[in-house]
Order: sequence, then structure tokens, then C-alpha cells
Amino acid sequence: MSASATRARPPDLAAGGEPFLFGLGGALLAGLFMILGVLALILWNGAATFWPRPIERVELRSGHTLAGEPIRSERFRPAGSAAESRRTLYRVGNYDLYGDEFRWVDEAEIGRRDRPGDLVLIERLEWGVFIGRLVGAETAGRALDPADAEAFAAVHAEARRRWRGMRALERDAIAEVNRRIERERLDLRRLELRHGAGSAIVRAAADAAESRLVHWRAEHGRLSERLERLRSEDARDTARVVESGGREVALKLSAIVRFYPANALGPLGAIRVYLSRWAEFLSEEPREANTEGGVWPAIFGTLAMTVLLSLLVAPLGVMTALYLREYARQGRAVAAVRIAVNNLAGVPSIVYGVFGLGFFAYLAGGTIDALGFAESLPNPTFGTGGLLWASLTLAMLTVPVVIVATEEALASVPRSMREGSLACGASQWQTIRRIVLPRAMPGILTGLILAMARGAGEVAPLMLTGVVKLAPELPIDASFPYLHLERSFMHLGFHIFDVGFQSRNSEAAKPMVFVAALVLILLVAALNALAILIRARLAARFRGGQF
Amino acid sequence: MTAPSSAPIHRQRRTRRAVLIADRAADLVIRTGGVGVIVAVFAIMAFLIETVWPLFLAGSGGQRIESEVAESDLRPLSTLVDEHRRLAAAVDRHGRVRLFHVETGAGMAAADFDFGGARAAAFARALEGRDLAFGFNDGSVRLARIEFRSEVVAEIPTGLRALGRDRGDGRALYSPLPDGQWRRLWLESALEAPLKLSDGPILALDYRRGGTAERPSRTLLAVDAAGLPRLLRAETRLHLLTRRATTRTVAFDLPALPDGAQATRALLTSAADQAYVAAADGRLFRYDLRDPARPALVETLRPLPAGATISAMTFLIGEQSLVLAGSDGAVDVWFRLPSETGGDGFALVKAHALEPHAGAVSGLAASERGKLLLSADVAGRVWLRHATSERTLAKLAAPQGAVEALALAPRDDGVLAFSRRQESLRILSWTVDQPHAETTLRTVFGPVWYEGYAAPGFTWQSSSGGDGFEPKLSLVPLIFGTLKATLYAMAFALPIALGAAIYTAEFLHRRIRAAVKPAIEMMASLPSVVLGFIAALVLAPLVESWVAAVILAFVALPLSLAAAAFLWQLLPAARARRLGGVPKFVLIGGVVGLGLWLAAALGPWFERLVFAGDVKAWLEGDIGSAVPFLVLLLFVPSYLAIALGTRRAAGDALAAMTRPLGRAGLAAIDLARWLAELAAALLLAWLMAAALAALGFDARGSLVEGYAQRNALVVGFAMGFAVIPIVYTIAEDALAAVPEHLRAASLGCGATPWQTAIRIVLPTALSGVFAAVMIGLGRAVGETMIVVMAAGNTPVMEWNPFGGLRTLSANIAVELPEAVRDSTLYRLLFLSALVLFAITFAVNTLAEIVRLRFRKRAASL
Repeated sequence: MSASATRARPPDLAAGGEPFLFGLGGALLAGLFMILGVLALILWNGAATFWPRPIERVELRSGHTLAGEPIRSERFRPAGSAAESRRTLYRVGNYDLYGDEFRWVDEAEIGRRDRPGDLVLIERLEWGVFIGRLVGAETAGRALDPADAEAFAAVHAEARRRWRGMRALERDAIAEVNRRIERERLDLRRLELRHGAGSAIVRAAADAAESRLVHWRAEHGRLSERLERLRSEDARDTARVVESGGREVALKLSAIVRFYPANALGPLGAIRVYLSRWAEFLSEEPREANTEGGVWPAIFGTLAMTVLLSLLVAPLGVMTALYLREYARQGRAVAAVRIAVNNLAGVPSIVYGVFGLGFFAYLAGGTIDALGFAESLPNPTFGTGGLLWASLTLAMLTVPVVIVATEEALASVPRSMREGSLACGASQWQTIRRIVLPRAMPGILTGLILAMARGAGEVAPLMLTGVVKLAPELPIDASFPYLHLERSFMHLGFHIFDVGFQSRNSEAAKPMVFVAALVLILLVAALNALAILIRARLAARFRGGQF
Repeated sequence: MTAPSSAPIHRQRRTRRAVLIADRAADLVIRTGGVGVIVAVFAIMAFLIETVWPLFLAGSGGQRIESEVAESDLRPLSTLVDEHRRLAAAVDRHGRVRLFHVETGAGMAAADFDFGGARAAAFARALEGRDLAFGFNDGSVRLARIEFRSEVVAEIPTGLRALGRDRGDGRALYSPLPDGQWRRLWLESALEAPLKLSDGPILALDYRRGGTAERPSRTLLAVDAAGLPRLLRAETRLHLLTRRATTRTVAFDLPALPDGAQATRALLTSAADQAYVAAADGRLFRYDLRDPARPALVETLRPLPAGATISAMTFLIGEQSLVLAGSDGAVDVWFRLPSETGGDGFALVKAHALEPHAGAVSGLAASERGKLLLSADVAGRVWLRHATSERTLAKLAAPQGAVEALALAPRDDGVLAFSRRQESLRILSWTVDQPHAETTLRTVFGPVWYEGYAAPGFTWQSSSGGDGFEPKLSLVPLIFGTLKATLYAMAFALPIALGAAIYTAEFLHRRIRAAVKPAIEMMASLPSVVLGFIAALVLAPLVESWVAAVILAFVALPLSLAAAAFLWQLLPAARARRLGGVPKFVLIGGVVGLGLWLAAALGPWFERLVFAGDVKAWLEGDIGSAVPFLVLLLFVPSYLAIALGTRRAAGDALAAMTRPLGRAGLAAIDLARWLAELAAALLLAWLMAAALAALGFDARGSLVEGYAQRNALVVGFAMGFAVIPIVYTIAEDALAAVPEHLRAASLGCGATPWQTAIRIVLPTALSGVFAAVMIGLGRAVGETMIVVMAAGNTPVMEWNPFGGLRTLSANIAVELPEAVRDSTLYRLLFLSALVLFAITFAVNTLAEIVRLRFRKRAASL
């Protein structure tokens, strides 16, 4: 590069360092390719998972017929053969019949394949998908022609509505009654602990409770009876389906989540299926060991934890930063504390998890249980992982981020403004509240949102402090006291770990994990984007306001 | 404010009270809140230390209860204590069975064994002390059983004798329970009919129950005065349908003890496959009984120094370890290990020498639950030890002197001894609490010799299905795994991150830079669980099916970049300068893609060339030769050596010779030189590899061995993803912070941008770059989810990039949810967390200090 014909010195190629430049540039581009590759992988797999695929019917040379969604094909070397061949992975579904949801088919074995329009894909509550033909249906004892799509859809919708009603009855009404009964028992136990078993107060309370319990037990019986009635009604709505091998199966209509003729689906129909799957994923509960259904509880848990985390971390972080920057005497001690706080941001998250489990859940939670929830011991209430402890743990984990960001924001407020305010007779708090904090707000908010983003994506400490693979109840619900900080909860990140690693069939679970990963990344990215947006907005508002 | 006349006092009065209160309150809240958060954050370390601390404390032991026994002529052979340590049973040679209340020494009646006036000459008891065997001088043997029974009763009979808190009725003891009920405790004993085993007196015997619940077996070994060991084995079969039991009894004669040795003690395993006989002359004989039809004396050894004899011996739980105590006070633990020298392929090896007693050891008692061991000597010292950790946990002393019978409580929470001075027999009961007997700093960080292992080693295995399983809790394999994962991650991430940072800061077009930097920083916000998932379910299978291509990529990518650079030099200077911006960047991108494509396309060919067509089989050592892979390993060092060597030796001469050629010629020569260097390096590497292979060196078995799908390479890739953005951002910031006038001066002096970057900018920003590396290191050390998901979690110690690993953090995540609170495992996992905390805190503090110094220096430039 330095070479020039007019120069007396000859060109020195080594000085240009061209091979090294290419190396450095290669490193940068390799890094970029990696990121783009990963993002593209997640985006593509996450976005494509719900798109309805066509179903192929394959007739093998052996005379056997199968039908399934082609997933992918690859080259392979059949056992005992030197030549490579191709094979295709089909998702054949019908786990209850075949014992496996996927099947590799050697291209060489295939005789004929086509895509008949009458093949339907049925998503079921249990046993995964069913692939086959719809041959008949029955509702309340009368036959229904499945070719009459509208009537069939209406009956199906009705069955689904009934099923939802049954679930609500079971989950909400009956569970509420059970909770009441349990609460009576606990109240009695608390009285026993306080006044001693067999004391007059306890006996009186027991009598009173018994009269209430009679009511609740009657209520329980009534609800169970209603549920039983609905169940028997439900069992009469069935569809008859035939799989590609010719076996006929009867399916309960209410157990069919969704069905569509995969090969006769127009673009509009495909989009409808796609959107309805997304809607189910975002709003429903998981089923089939989390590999199907939705992730609503996990999204809700992630959000609830993140909100709680920010409520905890914002005042604490800002207070600490204010103390360090505005109140403490700047000296060696504060400098050392600052270094330490900076470093705490780098302490592995799992260490915080260990601390959270040992200190919050076991020590603090155990103490709370012994003092306030002695009646339910030995079952822990707060003495085990839960939403509060997980949020507190993540608050400890992320508080350095907020402290550092707030400190930097406070430092960027010019000294002259503080001095001006103080000179006008404002108190220190007035100066902080009216002058310093507003100017520092963009930085503080950025730090807070970055902390939330980090907290939302963190999994390791949560595994120790309250995340579970399947939580029966959300941490916020209609049952008193509405916010249940002691409950364990589901989390998107842990959901990814759990479904990807603990499920029976990782091939079946993989697409769902990609979708969950996409949702989690979007959540984190949205938080990050929000941080950037807020910073830009607020920075613009105060631009020119400094002097 | 505008009124100059208002006096300060007047002003003060006008300050609203609310303002003052708010100020005071804010001051207080912020101060307490701020200090509180800082304290809380530091409390983490304190809490971790507090939890870990009890691991290394000696447990408590020594609180003693003493009571005198009325029946002082009793000479207890053996004692048994119930699990609540309320009653102690003692048996003597005349068949007397006595029951004592531990606290008061009050005697209680129990059914004696009726020996018909005979006095037992030999005695044996199984580990837990319930099964007893007595040998007599007439050659007969009697088997007996004593056992504590208990039940919970609501009411107790009236007229009981008060014994401390307890009540006694002469046969049973009633202890109060916290809920108002009582526990009734009594002893049952049973004696079987005599079995005639020999004509001479029985000197030593042992008796074991074994087999399964459906096929219980009982085995008896007795050695008579003639030195003839005899084995009697009764196997009971329960008929599945009729539930009728049929018992088959067989007797075998074992080879006699050689040269007239007199047996003193015998030991038998429950499975009756091994027998040990100690002789009066200090020798120990081992019999192999695995084939009962052909019992063989397979080993004879003298386990103690000359002159000393074996004064006590016992198995530890699991019957794999043999404890031998000597008349010289030695207490040693011996393992039966596979060996060439033993007659049956095994040999006894002394694995642990515990702290010796000052005098002869008079008794041993082993725990039923772990590797705890009691030993007593003739001076009345009773020591509680742990066999594996070789720790002496408590030194208890019987004030009277000689200890006659010794027992460890069933829950390992107490020690019971009968001790005698002159004619007074006393019961001593100590409470011991040893929750973490198996851990010392040495067992956690040093090599430990575990049962069944050929040599001391580092092992992490916290749980297993077996009953006699001993948790093996060495943190070393986990620390090793952490270092390995960090090393591979950093080896992958640092070149990319630092190279990218330098290129971005110094050579990248400003407009591209504005887009590139946030893109890489976005990587930092990818949750690690997503990276782990991709690594394990996408990357690992991909790498597995493309191993050769992945290895080739490490060669192909740099080579194609270098080749592109040498070709680029062929461009005329003016055109090169014109294309130096975006087109060159795009070209480099194309070359990276080309390199990857080449690697993928040439992968199968490369696999045939280096790995004989199948990487995994090659790694297992099944096929192929060692040479090609060694060439690969040696290629980079030999290229560096040759390149530097030619530059040193002939660089000036070459420059002088080529000076008149002009740029194009120079570039062509440069390309030719590079190609020649490559060829020479390849030749040199091949020569060295051939020589090494001829010497018998093979990378397999030492560096690479076997292939696991989730391996260090995959972890390195995935963790690289997590580390790259951090290192990149901080390093790039540091480089960009170097003041512009330094660059301008350097370029003005005629230096090329490359020279400026490498000689001026990089040295100036070096401490910032170093801080970036350290912070990346800290992140890699503590990364959890990626490792949990992608590393296979096998706690092995090998550097093999294709092998699995388990890091400290992954171990915590996997095992802590299952660990019982305050157990040894729980505390050890807290210790792991503390180690992680300490490592990252140290690394980050170093980085922070360096960074602050850099900032100060950069500001002064």
C-alpha cells in the first residue's frame, strides 16, 4: 500500500501485512457469519415449524403403505452396502399405533408416492398427531357425514367448547373447593399449634369447620357429578379415522385440537392453520410432557419474574448508585467498592443460584415457614424454590448492572448543574430529585432494561430457585391472595432446556424448542430494543438542556 | 433569591418543613439502602463460606455417659446397641446374654444361650453384630442371633422402674416419644443346635448370612487346631408357589494352613467367595472360594512388620476393604485388587495406613452405613476414624483402661464400650456427630484411593444405585473440566474476537463499522440456554457427521485467506487502493465462504487421507496409521519455524535480490516463497511425524481418544459464541479509544496502516485488550447452561477435544436440585460455587484494575 512509483525506496510487501489483514478480516467475517447463521437458523426453524406441510403417501416395494410429512432427507450408507443411498425422514404420527412418530424411508425401497387430497392431519390432546383419512363421525348417537365440512366443524367446535368447560370445572371450580377444604384443615392445625390439640378453642373451631366442610364436600360432590355428566356426553362425539395401513380408530372429537386436509389446503387455509397454531402456542398450556401445546404459563412466568425482578432491582440499584456517587465520600473505600460491584456483574450466575437456594429458599424461607406457615409443615411453603426467591436471586445477579449504568448516568450529569441547584438553596434531595435524576433517567432506564433482558434470558440460577418443568398453577390467579409469590413457576428458558433434553423424543420436540427459542429471543431482543429506544427518546429530550 | 436583604436566619425559617423532612428521609433511606445493598452483595461470599465451613470441621465427639454394671464378672465378647442408644446387649463365652440400660447401667433380663456348661473357645460376629457364632473345644459350633425389637405403644403398664427418662420392667424398656407415646424396646435371642465341624478345638470361625431374599444362604467357616479350615454352606430355596423352604447344606474342606500355622481369626464374605485366616505367627492367608468345588489358598502374606501379629480384623461395609489391626498398634486398610501375582488374579494391597495406636489394638468395629471405623487399644483409647479419608475423627479415652467390647451405634451417632478396671465393669457411651467425616481438604483436592480402584485418583461420583456405595467427591475432575472447557472456548473465541476487534477498529470502513458492531454485540443478548440447545441438538450432530471437514476447516480457512492475500498483492497498487474498502471486505467474506466450502467438499477426501476413511474408528485406534494426524499437528509449528528461519537466514539477501523487480514481481516472488515454505513445512512435519511414529508415539490414547457426540469441541464452539461478543466489544472499545493523533503521527512518518495498527495502536491499547480477554475468561469459566447441554457431563480428566467433560457450574446445576440440605454433597456443591466465585472474582478484579490503569493512561495521552 505504501508502494509508489515515485518513491526511492522499493515497495516492502511485509509492511503492508496483507496476509494478516486478510486474517483479521476473516476473523470478523467468520464471527458475523456465525451470528447470522445462528439467527437465521432460529428464525427459519422457529418461523417454519407451524407452517402446515404436505403429507406424502408412500407405497413401499414391500407392499406396505405409509403416510407422513417429509421432514428432511440425507445421504447414508445402508448397512452392509458400499454404495451411498438417500433416505427421507417421515413424520408418520400415530404414536399409539406405530410406537414411533418418525420413520426413515430408504429411497430405494419406495415404489410410488403421491399426495392424495383426502389425507388429514389431526392434532390430538394425547399421542401426538394422527395422519390418515376421516371416514365417519358420530354425535350424540347419530351419524354425521364428514364430507359435510361445515357441520362437522360445528360439531367439533361444540365438542371443544364442552371440553374447555370441563377443564375449567376441573381446574378452577373443583380445585377451588379443594383449596377451601385444605384451608380449613390448615386453619385448624394452626389453632392446634397455638392452643394445643384438644383445647376448648380447637374443639369449638373444629365443630365450626365441620359444618363448613359439609357444605364444601357437598359442593365437591355436585361439581364432580356435573363433570361426570359432561364426560359421558363428551364420549358420544367421535370421529372415525383410518390410517394409511387400513386400521380404523375412533377418536373423541373433543380430543382433536385441530385437523386439516394437508394436501388440499390452499394458501389461505395454510395461513389460517399457521396463525391458529401460533395463537395456540402463545396462549395455551403445554401438553404431552411439554412437547406440544403452548407455552403460555412459561411466557407468563418469565414476564412475572422479570417484572418482579425489575421492581426489586430498580430501587435497590438506583439507591446504591446514588449513595456511591452522591452521598459517600469519594475515596479509596468507594473506589474499591466500585471495583467489587463491577466484578460482581461477572460472577457466574450459577453462584447466585446456589446462594439463592441456600440463603433465600432454605434459610429465609425456612424461617418464614417456621414462623408463619407452621401449620403446613413439613410441606414447605416458602422454604423451597418459588417466584419470590427466583426474582430476588436474579435481582442480586442483575443489581450490579443497574448500579454501574446508574453511576455512569449520574456521572454524566454536569457538576455545574448540581452546584447551581445547591447554590439556589435547594436541598440535596431536591437537587437529586429535580435536577440529577431526570437527566440521568435515560441511562438508568437503559441499565434497568438491560438488567431485565439479562434476567429474562438467565436459566441456571432459576433451576435452583423455583423454576419447574410443569407448574399446575400460575403465580397470579383468581384465588386469594391472588399473587402467590411462594409458587414455583415455568420459564421459557427452562422450558427450552427441559423439552430439548428431558423429553422422550427429542426429534419430535426439536421444532417446538426452536419456536420457544424464537419467542425467548424476541422477548429479550424486544427488551433490548426498548432500552435503545428509551435512551434515544430521553437523550433527545434533554439535548441542549445542559449548560 | 433576588432580595439581597433577607438574612440567612430568615431564609431558614422559610424553608418548608416538608422539604427538610424529605431531605432527611431521602438521606437516611439512600444511605441505608445503598450500604445495605453493598453489604448484601458481599454477604454472598460470607454465606457461601459459612455453608462450606462445616465440611472441614472435625465433628463433635466425646460427650460421655458412664454407668457401672452390677454384674462385674461378665467378660463381654461382643456388644450390640440399639439404634436409639438406650440399651446395650453383651454376650460372653458362657452364653450369658445381658442387657443394660446405657444411662444407668441397670441390668435387664434376657434369654441366655444354653451351652450346656461349655465355654466357647472361638467367637465371631457379622458386621452388624446380630449374627453370632461360637466355636467349642470339642469341635462343635453353635450359631446364635440377638436382635433388638421395638414397637410404639400408647400406654405403658404400671409399676415400672424409673430409669432416667425411661421406664423398665426388667425385660423391656419404655422410652417416651415426643408425641406422648412410648417406644417399647426389648431383645430377642435365639440359639441353634450344635454343628459338629471338627474333632479338635475350634480356634477361629466366621459366620455370614447372604444370598437374596428368595434364596437366603448362611455360611460358616471354622478353623480347628490342626489348621484345617472347613466351610459349611446352607442355601435355602423358597418354592414360589408353595412357599415351602428347602435347605441344602454342603460342607467343603479348604486347603490346610501351611507349616502348622495356628489360626487366630477368620473372616468370610457374605457371598462366601473369599475367606481370610489370620495366624498366630502374623501371617494372613487368603482363600479363593468362588468355585466351591475347588477352594484354593491363593495368597499368603505378612501384612505387619516382623514380630507383630494381627490382633483384630474386620471388613468395612461392602466387604471389599479389609481392616487389619496389629499388636504393634497399626490399623491398615487393605484392598483386594486385580494383579498379575496373585493366584486368582487378585492380590491384597495396603491402601490406607491409618494413624497407629501406641499399643496393641484390642478391638475393631466398623460402621453399617459408611466407612467409619472404631479401634480400641489395650490402654483404653478408642479412636473413631474414617477409612477412606484416613482421618482420625475423635480420640476417646476410657478412663479405666482396657476396653473389652466395642460397638458403633447403628446410626453412626454414638460409640459404646465396655471397659474394666480391676473388678468394676462399666458401660461408656459417647455421642459422636460426624456429618462430614469423609471430607478433608485432601480428599476434595488431592488423590484419594477408593475401594475397587487400582490406585489413588481423582474421582467425582456422587451417587449410585448400590447399597455399600461410597460417594467419591473430588473437585479436581470438575476443576479440570472447567479449565478444559474454558481453554477450548478461548482457543476458538480469542482469535476471532481479537482479530475482529482489530479489524473493526483499524481497517473497517466507518459505515460498515456502524452496522457490524451492534450485530456482534447482539450476540451477547442471545440467552445461553438457546446457545446450549443449538450446540447440543444442532451443532453436535452436525459436527459428528462432519468431523473431518471441521478439522480440515481449521486448516483450510487460514490457508485460503492467506492465498487470497498473496493473490491480492498481485493487484497493481492503485487498483488495490481503490478496491480497498467495501469490495475488499466483500472479497474476504467470499474467501471465508470459499474456505468453508472447500473444507466441506474436501472433507471425505481428507477423512480418507488422514483418518483412513472413518474418523471415529480411527480415534478409537481401530484403523489407520498415526502419521497423517501427527503431520497435521506438527504442520503449524514447522511452518512457523521455516517461515521465521528463512526470514532470519535469507530475508535480507532475498530482499536485495528482488529489489529491482517492482511491485508485481515482488508479489509474485512473495507468493512463490509462501508456497515453497508451505511445501517445506509439510515435508518437515511429515519427516518429524514419521520419526515420532517410528518411536511408537501416537496422538491416539494420549491426546485424542474416542469420540463422544457432546464433546469439548462443541462446547468450545458454543461457548465461543458466548465469549466472542464480550471480548470483541471491550477490546474494540479499548482500541477505538486510542487517540487519533497517535495514528496520524505514525501514518505521517510513513508507516503503513498495518504497521500503525500492530506497532502503535495495539501496544497502547494492550491493557484494555487484556482486560477484555480476562472478562471473557471469567464468563467462560462460569458459563452453565451451554455446558450442561452440550458437554455430555462426564467427569473425566483428559484433554481429548472429542471427549466429554463436566464443569463446576454444570455439576452444580445438575446435582444441587437433588442434594439433601446440609449433606456433604450439598456443602461440596457450595464449595464448588465458592471456588467459581473466587476464580471469577480474582480474574475480574485483575481485569478491572488493568482496565482502570489503561483508562488513566489513555486519558493522559
